[in-house]
Amino acid sequence: MRLDIRELGQFNHLASQGAQRAAASLSQLTGVKMNVEVTDVSLVTDSVLQETFGGRNFVGVSVGLEGGLSGETVLAFERERAETLQKLLLNKAGASQALAQSSVSELGNIMIGGFIDGWANHLHEAINMTPPTYLEAKGTRILPRETLHAASGKGVFLFESRLEAMNVDLDFSIYMLPEYQEFVDLLSRSPSEPAIPANKLRAFDGLAKRGAHRAAEQIGMMTGMETTVNISRIRFVPLTGVPAQVGDETMVGVVFKLTGMPSGYLVILFDERSAKSVASAMMPGGMQEDGIGAMTEGAVKELGNIMTSGFIDGWANVLGTSIEHSPPNYVHDMGSSIMSPVVSKLGQRQDYAFVIDSAIEMGGQQGHCDIYALPDERELAKTLSALPSNA
Amino acid sequence: MTVTLTSPDGAAVDREKVGIADLAVVTDDTQLVTSGLGSCIGIALYDSEAGVSGLLHAMLPTADDGRSTAPEKYVDTGLEQLISAMQTAGAQPQRLHSWIAGGSQMLEFSGGENSIGARNIRVATQQLSARSIPIEGADTGGSSGRSLIFNPKIPGLIVRTAKDGKKTL
Repeated sequence: MRLDIRELGQFNHLASQGAQRAAASLSQLTGVKMNVEVTDVSLVTDSVLQETFGGRNFVGVSVGLEGGLSGETVLAFERERAETLQKLLLNKAGASQALAQSSVSELGNIMIGGFIDGWANHLHEAINMTPPTYLEAKGTRILPRETLHAASGKGVFLFESRLEAMNVDLDFSIYMLPEYQEFVDLLSRSPSEPAIPANKLRAFDGLAKRGAHRAAEQIGMMTGMETTVNISRIRFVPLTGVPAQVGDETMVGVVFKLTGMPSGYLVILFDERSAKSVASAMMPGGMQEDGIGAMTEGAVKELGNIMTSGFIDGWANVLGTSIEHSPPNYVHDMGSSIMSPVVSKLGQRQDYAFVIDSAIEMGGQQGHCDIYALPDERELAKTLSALPSNA
Repeated sequence: MTVTLTSPDGAAVDREKVGIADLAVVTDDTQLVTSGLGSCIGIALYDSEAGVSGLLHAMLPTADDGRSTAPEKYVDTGLEQLISAMQTAGAQPQRLHSWIAGGSQMLEFSGGENSIGARNIRVATQQLSARSIPIEGADTGGSSGRSLIFNPKIPGLIVRTAKDGKKTL
């Protein structure tokens, strides 16, 4: 089965509209202006679900679907965030205790309902919803058992919308997980190019993970710090949402242009403190400089070069292609603005991107680094399609 | 529905966020904010008589530069869309004033004179001039990222960069 990338974009758009509708309702209920920062969809395995949901308490709403799309859809909030929402509802004149307490179910209904309406329209088929079931659970137990089962096999599609309040310190994510096989069937109804074979998605995920681990090993070798890859996943996201995912904090980073199959960009970002830590660790005697200057720049460029080689070497081996990278472009600026020229360049050919997003922790609490790889989607689809099916 | 919040100087502030390849129009003192401008360009328009403000955050110079049908992605079609939305809200094109910021060249392989940033600035300036919309303030080019707030009360565009802090155009 081949997954139509345009169709995936369409579903992402529908999910985003559902989130917009939920945000509007939430604004009306709480009086706090909510903004949908970004909606992405990723194919995730059980380990990514563990990283995403593990160790946190959730409240959620589960809704069964029948008709044009069947399966179980879950909308989950972190418990703490749900409580903040309830407080906001209570603070608003006119909101009763009962309304505040049922806000999660209410919101779940609006959000899932909006999402499902959009899908049903798109599919020209009715989708029926069972009444919402309120859930409270820790970690991945908030998710239906079938979802966890599917995640340990082929993987599941996870839609995530990040909402942020404009004038109150509140941001949270809503997650939706449609049933895997149903969703794959939908995406392969009438595949047009570019399309990715469904059975290559796991291989793609493996590739992303291998790249991140190789890059992390390089940091370890260059700095002597212990490194762990915290998250590594492939997100399918509108290009215009990528800068918001990175955020406005000032970052130190390097941008590489990739040429070959697939071409694209690789961006490595450190927060300022982490950049100084790695620079100092790379200097004889752990020398430090005041602020972020030439020493940090030199170190981050050198490290970036080696990390990028490590990241893409693994790719070229598996894909049987060759990928080259440009010299490092050093940037010390707002994270979102560093991504701006990258998404503009890719935006000339595509509206969505597969973003391979990896987070690396260094030396316990000493530092943190994010790697974003954005391959050209057509070339990626072509390369993955050419992979032998046992890859 | 918007919410009011008290700023450090005691005044109430409403804010509306504009994403990338996005625009917003307001008819009150709501501030329009956008961030993550590298090579992208921000164009703010204001009709003081009607009290209508608009902000566009465009990614690419012209609709010929991409395959997308979203008009807000491009300077040319985005500006057209912004003006039309502002007209619907009561503004008149001949009363509009503008502010522009962005179009920086952050990466060495961006392509100099023909970089997306440089072309965004060129097309924005040309399009505004072709419509006889005066540019009240501009902060374009360079190699720094920017975030913007259009404050209709000034009226002016507040530009923030990581290195130089804030300035008002």
